[in-house]
Amino acid sequence: MFVRTFSAGPVVVKSVETEMRSLDQTVGLDPIAARLADGDPLAPNALVEWLYAELYRYAFSVLRDERAAEDAVQDAFERAFSALGRYPEERLRAMRLRPWMYRITLNVARNGLRRRREVSFEEPSAVDGAASDEGREAVIDVLAALGRLPERQRVAVTLRYLQDLPYAEISGVTGWTEGTTKTLVRRGLMRLRKMMVEDTRAGGTR
Amino acid sequence: MNEPFALNDAERPVATLRETAARIASPRESAVLVDGVLDEVTDSFFGVESPLGMVYVAAGPGGVRYLAPATSDEEEFARCYRERFGRFISPARGLADLAERVAALGGERVEVALDLSRATPFQRRVLETVKGIARGEVRPYVWVASEAAFPGASRAVGNVMANNPIPLLVPCHRVVRNGSYAFGTGEKVRLLRLEGASPEEISGSPYLATPTTGVVCHATCRNARRIRPESRRLFRSVKGAADAGYRPCKVCRPVVAA
Repeated sequence: MFVRTFSAGPVVVKSVETEMRSLDQTVGLDPIAARLADGDPLAPNALVEWLYAELYRYAFSVLRDERAAEDAVQDAFERAFSALGRYPEERLRAMRLRPWMYRITLNVARNGLRRRREVSFEEPSAVDGAASDEGREAVIDVLAALGRLPERQRVAVTLRYLQDLPYAEISGVTGWTEGTTKTLVRRGLMRLRKMMVEDTRAGGTR
Repeated sequence: MNEPFALNDAERPVATLRETAARIASPRESAVLVDGVLDEVTDSFFGVESPLGMVYVAAGPGGVRYLAPATSDEEEFARCYRERFGRFISPARGLADLAERVAALGGERVEVALDLSRATPFQRRVLETVKGIARGEVRPYVWVASEAAFPGASRAVGNVMANNPIPLLVPCHRVVRNGSYAFGTGEKVRLLRLEGASPEEISGSPYLATPTTGVVCHATCRNARRIRPESRRLFRSVKGAADAGYRPCKVCRPVVAA
């Protein structure tokens, strides 16, 4: 079910098998995956509590809307658990859940974004209702700038500097090598800097 | 700090991004949201004392799906459950209908929703038929097969009983073999006795008839219970009773074997 979702997105993501291999080499055993495999009844709760906040932040950075981000994370967990429930025990035990969950969240959020664009033909503007909140507006401005980056650069920069993932885990999410990821992050930052300079010149002081 | 911190800072996009990350507000009521996820992605379970001793009961939104004696630990139960249903379980939090389930386990006549969606249509018919057998009564396999509209499938009924996912709530212990050694396992006998069915009495003569009405019943049928001692006629088979001129009871519908 997800495998299809993964391959549908514009981000170039290698097959699930490639991803699993690269993860095995880079990250240590996942304690919650082991607990899920062992049948620990508190493990599902532990997984959701562990990742909810950061996946929400990630979904928000893509969707720029609170409700949409909540829905995306809920949807991502539902997809994840329905797959995990059917995995054999050994496969479950070998999972690297954090990058895997990021990837599902990315796909769900991107699909949500695409659907919204198809309906409204415009970028999501989440400023409504909270326009008085200056901090929030600034956040939205930065996220909008990120949203103007080419897809791969945006994903790389977001995972590295908004989500603070180490390069090894970014590889786990995207299937890119660390070298590729670093290049994308560097180019993304350069472009962001340029955008910021231009915006400052165009807008002056706000 | 009310100045927009981001776009006029041309030198340090990394710092801006990090600051933005810190500024993205956490969702309000995140505990509620986590619970909402958990309710959706896991089924719930609890342990409870029952006539079988301590048991674990697991239920999804559609009702109770699985019950097993707590002879092993929770982990083992969770693994079995996942293998059978492909779902994880969490300790029950919404305990609204828990009391009812516990009462039903004790044999009280309480309607408890059962989720039999994983069963085949045949298994479902059989399990639903067995669910209707009243406390204190027993029925033979051939009766279950006939009531489930699969006459002749007694052996298949036996298989369904052996793999019953919800013992006690689907009272498979009330389904017995017709004949002299009807009561196999000690657990089954103990349960039936607890419910007021007397295994010794009905072993060997599972059918009771009375000349007063000319009707033959399962020995545990509520109508058979009312037959006066001096009018009781014992039969090993419905066929024997029919040959002697008795007609099957319309309440308990004993099956005349071919």
